[in-house]
Amino acid sequence: MRPVRPAARLAAAALALVCAGCGLFAKPAWERPPPPPRATDVVPEERLHREELANGVRVLVLEDPRLPAFALGVVTRRGAGIESPAEAGVASFTAELMERGAGERSALELAGIVDALGASLEVGSDWDAMSARVSGLSEDGDALFDVLADVVLRPRFDADEAEKVRSEHIAALRQAADDPATLLGWHFAKTLYAGHRYGVPEAGTPETLARLDGAAARAFHRRVFTPAASIVYASGDFEPEALLERIRTTYGAWQGPPPPELGPPPPVPAARRIVIVDRPDLGQAQVALGHEGIARTDPRRLEAQLLNTALGGGGFSSRLMGRIRADEGLTYGIYSQFVQRHRPGPFVVSTFTRVPKVGELLGGVLEELERVQAEPPSEAELARVQSQRSGQFALALETSREVAGALVELDIYGLPPDSLDTYRHRVWAVTPEQTAAVARELIDPARCSIVVVGPAEALRPQLEPFGPVEVVEP
Amino acid sequence: MRRGRAATALCAALLLASAALAAPFEDPVRDARVTHLDNGLTVLTLEDHGTPVVSFQIWVRVGSGDEARWSGLAHLFEHMMFRGSKHLGKEEHSRLIEERGGQINAYTTRDQTVYFTNITPEHLPLVVALEAERLANLDVSEESLADERQVVIEERRFRTENDPQGRLFEALMATTFQAHPYRVPTIGWMSDLEKVGVAECREFFDEYYAANNLVVSVAGDFDTEELLGLLHRHLGGLRRAEHIERNPTEEPPQRGERRATVRHDVVGPIVAMAWHAPPTGHADAEALDVASEILSSGRTSRLYRALVYDEPIALGAAGGYWELARAGLFFTWAQVRPDASAVTAEARLVREIERLRSEPPSEAELAKAKRALEVGLIAGQGSSHALASRIAQDWISFGRIRPLDERLAAIRAVDAEDVQRVAGTWLVPTGRTVVQLLPPEPGMEPAPGSGGPPP
Repeated sequence: MRPVRPAARLAAAALALVCAGCGLFAKPAWERPPPPPRATDVVPEERLHREELANGVRVLVLEDPRLPAFALGVVTRRGAGIESPAEAGVASFTAELMERGAGERSALELAGIVDALGASLEVGSDWDAMSARVSGLSEDGDALFDVLADVVLRPRFDADEAEKVRSEHIAALRQAADDPATLLGWHFAKTLYAGHRYGVPEAGTPETLARLDGAAARAFHRRVFTPAASIVYASGDFEPEALLERIRTTYGAWQGPPPPELGPPPPVPAARRIVIVDRPDLGQAQVALGHEGIARTDPRRLEAQLLNTALGGGGFSSRLMGRIRADEGLTYGIYSQFVQRHRPGPFVVSTFTRVPKVGELLGGVLEELERVQAEPPSEAELARVQSQRSGQFALALETSREVAGALVELDIYGLPPDSLDTYRHRVWAVTPEQTAAVARELIDPARCSIVVVGPAEALRPQLEPFGPVEVVEP
Repeated sequence: MRRGRAATALCAALLLASAALAAPFEDPVRDARVTHLDNGLTVLTLEDHGTPVVSFQIWVRVGSGDEARWSGLAHLFEHMMFRGSKHLGKEEHSRLIEERGGQINAYTTRDQTVYFTNITPEHLPLVVALEAERLANLDVSEESLADERQVVIEERRFRTENDPQGRLFEALMATTFQAHPYRVPTIGWMSDLEKVGVAECREFFDEYYAANNLVVSVAGDFDTEELLGLLHRHLGGLRRAEHIERNPTEEPPQRGERRATVRHDVVGPIVAMAWHAPPTGHADAEALDVASEILSSGRTSRLYRALVYDEPIALGAAGGYWELARAGLFFTWAQVRPDASAVTAEARLVREIERLRSEPPSEAELAKAKRALEVGLIAGQGSSHALASRIAQDWISFGRIRPLDERLAAIRAVDAEDVQRVAGTWLVPTGRTVVQLLPPEPGMEPAPGSGGPPP
């Protein structure tokens, strides 16, 4: 069977229906062409309300009465990416402190209100955004609305809480290095992005955390949680007009500076580096290889996504999974990704295998990266990943919370608000020539840096054929 | 017995705490249907046209707890179900689903093996045909086993050998259970994974993958009559087994605390404890759930306060009741800070458990814990995957689908004395198992064959 384009597919499906009507299945289902996808609305416009307040706050409310629960949040369009390398970790430090006291309430009083309702309050940060969110039962909506407003607009940043959080974050960083995969991520970023914020762990380092206090968190909060950079969103079961009115009243009077500038773009690594992070105790090595990639707003992102789906981003049927896992039994999982942020994140292939097989695995992966250029996805292979992405898209937007989350994500990057509605059409419009072009432009096996966490003694001879090897301490 | 106790307690709770109850709403599974095919296959269907997604799951009543000779066989076999059949090559089943945008995967527990496909509904006929193909015509060959064995060995290294928590959990189960098959890790011991053969895989399939040992559970956007027609046609001919072998061994009562230590290259120790607790469906289940929440739910929970917030001992600490089909566990654990001691962490965990046994929780703590369980139950009903899983798990565990109201009522019926009583019954010091995962000490020699060089 060979998947075909939608128009041809429609005719074929009609034919299949006629056969089915005869009550005779000449062929098994997997040899018949797929039925046409159902036409469905991605975003239920009648239940969605958007507006922008005078101070620049954007509002997005998606009503869904199916369950008596809701989520309400404020997301900012800036995150850890605007930190200087010297203040790395201030975003996650600020986020944690925002949960530890706001308005009239201390940390424990705030937690007491949330826990008594069986609700949740989560403040977090990533490279590109910060987020404060409450969720719980709809009947507790008013109380939770007030909690969120306090946390976003009136966090306390008490000095004693700041001390506790700093100590916890430093201890957590030390402990996180016990996990070989975490260690790999840190060293891969450091190898690619030395000197840039992206080269330092998102949560910071013990040295940068040691400099943080309540005043630093207060200042960072004021920079990032500002109306012109904020989105207030809700999804679930509520009375939309009443909620919107409360949002306008509470967040309409909010004042603050303009959104902070993005951090500088990361440098492009000049040549391949090969780094072993020495962990003599490990029998299985963690492996990452890659180089610079693209930003979330890169005009080639869709072609890159489809190419990557074929290469290693597509579950069990990607080229890398097929070869390295299914054919060669070298790993349990292997994935490739264009990590997309405000600024270009890495293109990275990550996996793991038993120590004696690392060299063989790397050779196989690099061959597949060369092959994706020499033999980019054919029309048939591209059609398979187009079908895959457009079907997954429907699955990923099953609940209203997921739809609202996807709409907020677009807004963080200033991508067109109708991107969800046009997604499937845009996916099917990509041609094999376009994916071949991004394979040439965006992937360069010869410049891939390689980072491996495992016993240096056994790994070094396997890695030397790929270039000069550096060994570092964890 | 259980219902009687719950009903009496329910009246009392309604009088005390009616203001804290969530407003009623319609249970999404109220219209679920149960159909039995002639060959003994059970089909659970829940039609819901809310979003154009359907979750199709096959639950096989076999898990690692049924293994008698070869550990890890149930899970290894789950992998083999993707390695091809008479008409389809290896991984082709997954490819056919994924290229239509579906998610396909499987997991194995101590009690069951679950295969699931989440996909847009126009592909349901294909999903059924593919499941029928592998159930009727699975191809287990020397060659495919040789490759997949290596995949599973890498999975074991990833989840256990290389992962401090995985190491700790394996030791905790193997120490808590000495006789019961739950002592064996679901992924299997390494030496068994290296040696198990094709004949054992085929025998396993014949033994357990029979129509009357399967439950098909489907939730989402589909037409029930159409689906049942498809299932009759494709799975109606699947053979029925006359007898299905189970591992009969039970755990004798524990007669004193057990301890184990695992050395691993970490800076942060982990301490875990477990007590034997009742299997799923026991009358004490909800009170044990409430006890779990009191210990673990939110920043006001007892373990967060005692080990993370009030004193800087751990980065995280929690506890919970884990109900399995044939036995249960109540456990607590703490991820100890690199600058704190495992001994202190253990003492604090013990102190909090003893506190549960020596005094009833306050009314505020009780109400908070029950509310958290209620909200979790109500908010967890969102996706078709979650709903198909819920009705299948209920059917396998209880032979019926428990209405949400019944579960909520049972939670609401728990009172402070219940919590103290179940803690007193189950969390006894002589039934405790403690495992510490610690960094190696300077100069410590590794045991022969343990892998790593001296630290």
